Amino acid sequence: MGAVWCATRVKGRISTVSLSNIEFLIQEAFTGIRRNGLMAFASISTIALSLGILGSFVLIALGANHFAASQIGKFQIGVYMVNGATDKKAETVAEKIRKMSGVASVELRSREKEWATFKRQRPDIESSGLPINPLPYAMDVKISDASRTAAIANKIRAIRGIDTVREGRDELSRVMALARVVRGVSIVGVLVLLVTAIFIISNAIKLTLYARRREIRIMKLVGATNWFIRIPLVIEGIVFGSVGAFIAWALLRVGGTYITRAIHGITPFLSDFSSDVRPSQLALVLVVLGAVIGAAGSFVSIRRFLHD
Amino acid sequence: MITLQGVSVEYANGVRALNDVSLEICKGDFAFIVGSTGSGKSTLLRLLYREMLPSKGRVIVEGEDVTALKASQVPYLRRKLGIVFQDFKLLPQKNLWENLAFALRVIGAQPKEIHRRIGDVLTMVGLTHRSDSFPHQMSGGEQQRAAIARALVNNPMVLIADEPTGNLDPDTSWEIMQLLEQINVRGATVLVATHDSQIVDRMKKRVIQLDGGCLVRDESKGTYQHCES
Repeated sequence: MGAVWCATRVKGRISTVSLSNIEFLIQEAFTGIRRNGLMAFASISTIALSLGILGSFVLIALGANHFAASQIGKFQIGVYMVNGATDKKAETVAEKIRKMSGVASVELRSREKEWATFKRQRPDIESSGLPINPLPYAMDVKISDASRTAAIANKIRAIRGIDTVREGRDELSRVMALARVVRGVSIVGVLVLLVTAIFIISNAIKLTLYARRREIRIMKLVGATNWFIRIPLVIEGIVFGSVGAFIAWALLRVGGTYITRAIHGITPFLSDFSSDVRPSQLALVLVVLGAVIGAAGSFVSIRRFLHD
Repeated sequence: MITLQGVSVEYANGVRALNDVSLEICKGDFAFIVGSTGSGKSTLLRLLYREMLPSKGRVIVEGEDVTALKASQVPYLRRKLGIVFQDFKLLPQKNLWENLAFALRVIGAQPKEIHRRIGDVLTMVGLTHRSDSFPHQMSGGEQQRAAIARALVNNPMVLIADEPTGNLDPDTSWEIMQLLEQINVRGATVLVATHDSQIVDRMKKRVIQLDGGCLVRDESKGTYQHCES
């Protein structure tokens, strides 16, 4: 493209696309948008809608993935020591586990506190007159990578003085499987919606160009080169794409805030359902995506009309 | 200046639009191409501005073999020609001034030059007062004068007009012809396809007659009447 901007060689003569011509081509693009207002409106609203749908699915997918990941993160291994283990022994074991790779944290539970809670919950036990605290030393082990839970649990089991290790294998594997499904569905969904959005947007642009095919033909008849016709129309595509994307972003921002607030209000359980995407990041991605699809859509569609 | 050598055009459906046509049009000529609908007039003109290619033969315009041009060179051929159509083909979203400016921008003219040339050509066709009007706001005659202005604005060596008066009343048609003659007097070669017998008879110019794609008459200072016989 650069070469065409600079100079086109025709039978030994060089005709230069001057700076004033570039200015003119940009001006042409904006005049074109203004004078084809209805078509511009149709294109921009189509782009806004399809990118809005794509964007909202991306946000939901990111939220679902974040939610699944945070549920996995909540899993921990319960370690129970043999009866009669001493404070010191418990501390040593806790320290040993803490040093294992893949272990995020180890929290030693307080036997006294648990015993007090237990007695409060079951007053019948107190009345039965159990004199001493029968609860074993216990600790909660948080794992930094959930997929290594089983391996770490086995390693802990090998330590002397440990009675039981509960890793919640079934629950964990169920949540992890669910997370995998969520991720798979998200990726496929985003790809399908992206392809659909590209298809819809390039069709919308093709329609605006179809409406102007006579204009394109006339331009060719007065001796305009394909690039001279193409540049303003590609600029129009970029403007349509980025304005549409910006509108989609604004809709997502307003709608997203409202919906998130509503969800959190109804079910606090879903408070992990957030996408962690900054609005400015989302705006940038959508506008760039819109501009690229707009430009590419125009570029590809014009080819057909130029060669008619 | 314009030479056709053994030119035939056959469409994909087997219809022969032109059959072995050879002719020469010299610099500064004014020629009418006459014949009934479907005789091949428009096809002949379309060959000159490379809207289509012949199945056989060569078309030479301004010393350049048009049939051998690469697609990327076609715009530069068209810039040397002024083309006027029956349906005017003005850009509907641009006003008259912008329509003319576009044709000049295409050849890389600078704003100062554009202003000067548009001023001159609008004075010539008598549309100075209409420069802000859009095509749909102008009458048929005005639109055709606007189309001629656009064809002239690049100072072409050849002006090609395909049924330029087909949509106009007799008085307006005559005005348009006067304008074309004036352009010819200034030095441009003018080629007009028409089946307006009154105009042809009144102008008494060279007449090239086509019939069923064949060249059947080429007569200087001819009339339309003869070709009916």
